[in-house]
Amino acid sequence: MLTPKRPEMTAHGGAALIARTPARRVYKGERSLRMSVVVGIVVLNVLLLVIPIGIAFVGSFHQWNPLNGTFNYLGLDNYTQLLGDARFWTATANTGIFGVVVITLRVALGLALAYAVWSKMTRFKTFFRTLFYMPTVTPLVAVAYVWKLMYHPQVGAINSIFGFDVNWLFDSQFALPAIMLMTVWKDFGYAVILFLAGLYSLPEDALEAAGVDGASAWQRFRLIVLPLLRPMMLFVVVTSIISYLQAFVQVMVLTKGGPGTSTSIISYLVYEEAFVKYNFGYASAIAFVLLILTALLTLVSFKMSGGRKLFGKGA
Amino acid sequence: MRKTWVAVMATACLALSACGSGDGGSTAVKDTVADKGLPIVGETVKYDPNTLVNDGEPINLEWWMWDGDETFGQFAEAYEEIHPNVDIQIVNQPWDDYWTKLPLQLQSDDGPALYNVHNSHHENLITYMEPYDIPVDELAADYAGVEAHVIDGKVYYIDFGMMTGLIFYNTAMWEAAGLTDADIPETWDEFRDVAKKLTIRDGNSFTQAGFNFNSQFKEFSLGLPYQQGQHLMAADQATPDLDNQAMLDTINLFTGFYDVDQVGSKDFGPVAADSFGQGQTAMIYNWGHFGGTLGTNFPEIEYGTFRTPVPEAGVEPYAHDRYNGESTLGINAKASDAQKAVAQDFLRFYLTNADLMKDLSLHYSVFPMYQPLADDPDVLAHPVLSALGDITKYVWPGPIPATFETSIDTMWQDILYNGVAPETALATAQKTVETDLSSTDFVGVENLYAGYSSK
Repeated sequence: MLTPKRPEMTAHGGAALIARTPARRVYKGERSLRMSVVVGIVVLNVLLLVIPIGIAFVGSFHQWNPLNGTFNYLGLDNYTQLLGDARFWTATANTGIFGVVVITLRVALGLALAYAVWSKMTRFKTFFRTLFYMPTVTPLVAVAYVWKLMYHPQVGAINSIFGFDVNWLFDSQFALPAIMLMTVWKDFGYAVILFLAGLYSLPEDALEAAGVDGASAWQRFRLIVLPLLRPMMLFVVVTSIISYLQAFVQVMVLTKGGPGTSTSIISYLVYEEAFVKYNFGYASAIAFVLLILTALLTLVSFKMSGGRKLFGKGA
Repeated sequence: MRKTWVAVMATACLALSACGSGDGGSTAVKDTVADKGLPIVGETVKYDPNTLVNDGEPINLEWWMWDGDETFGQFAEAYEEIHPNVDIQIVNQPWDDYWTKLPLQLQSDDGPALYNVHNSHHENLITYMEPYDIPVDELAADYAGVEAHVIDGKVYYIDFGMMTGLIFYNTAMWEAAGLTDADIPETWDEFRDVAKKLTIRDGNSFTQAGFNFNSQFKEFSLGLPYQQGQHLMAADQATPDLDNQAMLDTINLFTGFYDVDQVGSKDFGPVAADSFGQGQTAMIYNWGHFGGTLGTNFPEIEYGTFRTPVPEAGVEPYAHDRYNGESTLGINAKASDAQKAVAQDFLRFYLTNADLMKDLSLHYSVFPMYQPLADDPDVLAHPVLSALGDITKYVWPGPIPATFETSIDTMWQDILYNGVAPETALATAQKTVETDLSSTDFVGVENLYAGYSSK
């Protein structure tokens, strides 16, 4: 019997490049099992993702309300209306600010804490890993409601503990930062765990060699650890871009886009147009702009980080 | 391995059978006795229980609702007692899901035969509704406000009750401020004085707000311009008319409570209803349903109510406020003929059962539209309904699309929290509503108000 070859670790980056495995014996039933699993997933994705996206794309050129059967062709009207809609531009700006700040803080905080936990000086590593990851596994809706209570200007914990007198969720200066703070707290644990995984897969010999060569802790981090973590950082950034451009629950629970439109982000605008005003055509047009924006930003991140080099040609 | 597969398949079958509808739990049994010996009930619309429905054969009907299954369930139970061959199964769906699930279900051939309606979703439901098989003039003789629901000579739902805005006050705070029933204000100026007396400050911060309207913006803003004879729609009933002097006056009146009279603050109790329930606010404006909310969420709060003040003492305003109807049930146009026939029979029973209709109205703190209940002592003694006064002095603008409410809320938040000038915020709201209405078929019915006069 042939033994499958283990995937090789690259010397740079620690990302697992799957090596081409030589021909090996195919077990009885393996091919059909593999096919049925893959076909099942493809069919589900086509039914639940590709077809709905296609319908929404067609709907974006219509005055469309599937709840009462309205479907009137409008051409590009929804897209031209969108370009002149101040609410859309406000939401786009808010989404951009939200994304940049939250992703930056998530990566910075995640990396710092992961590095601290990874350090040989740190004890109770499991405790810290669990502690940092706990908010990530807590339901976002529940977290958002708790933070909403904490932000209450009269009875909230934040004003009471720190002695502030701020109406966090109703002051346009603080409302978006308040949502961002909650989101960072909720999500930083995800980055910690991923960066920890990256750190544990770093080649010991490179780190030891740096120590032998007299590199300081900062030099070791900046010149060895950080470059080797680039693939993981790219992964965290790209998945964060995808999820934060679609952020919705925290805005829905905490501010409903207010005060005014100062925390309205694109996904909330899509919700409001589709499920409050039943203007599904216009909502679809906005959603498609969001999709294009997400794809572009992902591509830019990938290019800037040299994604192809990091993940191989197949990436 | 085979045992595992068998176990998996059996589990799947059990799970699927649990999800299936079926009528395994039906309580319907064949009915052979038409004459039940019961009296015919009703005023103009009559209900004769001494008949066989569906020829006495067992039949099941689903009745969808988003709330109040116990109260509505009393109608179903009473009907099933008369007609044991009918089983009405109540299905409760949460409000947020209800308005997407229901229209989609009604499009299929598997929708509920009966369902509760809220007129704010009129446009998504009307296509799938069966008209009532009751002459409109008979309905109009028994129920107020029927004419506003007539479409091409037919009605698809009417109102069982009307709800509107009023002032809720905390009775303990009222007494502590040395106020009595004689101090209940008639005008906004008197209201301002009372609010000042109810306000307690500690230096620059509030301990108790005399009046709080935070996050309650749409409730009063879409009603109080009527006091000055200003409608929400222009005379063509198709063009929104928000950007006007009466709306601006309303904005200035309310911002004046905070800025000039300092009886509350935009930052004290960010949601007025919660602040009232938490005992931080002495008075709020809210709609009648708030009585139910207080009973459920804040039972320890003792409250009184009074009618919304008016601009001038002794001068009857054009109208006191806006009202909205709580709708009667809808019948699925795609239900089977047998189900529709039973649903129509049940509808008559529902509309003519004065006792249960009273319970329903009191449960939801709505003034009953069923005329025989208009002078009912229990209705007149109800803490919320007793404050309304002459119910003919309220205007229903029609099933206004959500953009009116969302745009007014945004406008108020811009004014209070973002420093936008009222004129600018109002113009923006007008423009947003105009844009949104352009993609709907909404036509207002303010011109059906008895005292209607176009500006």
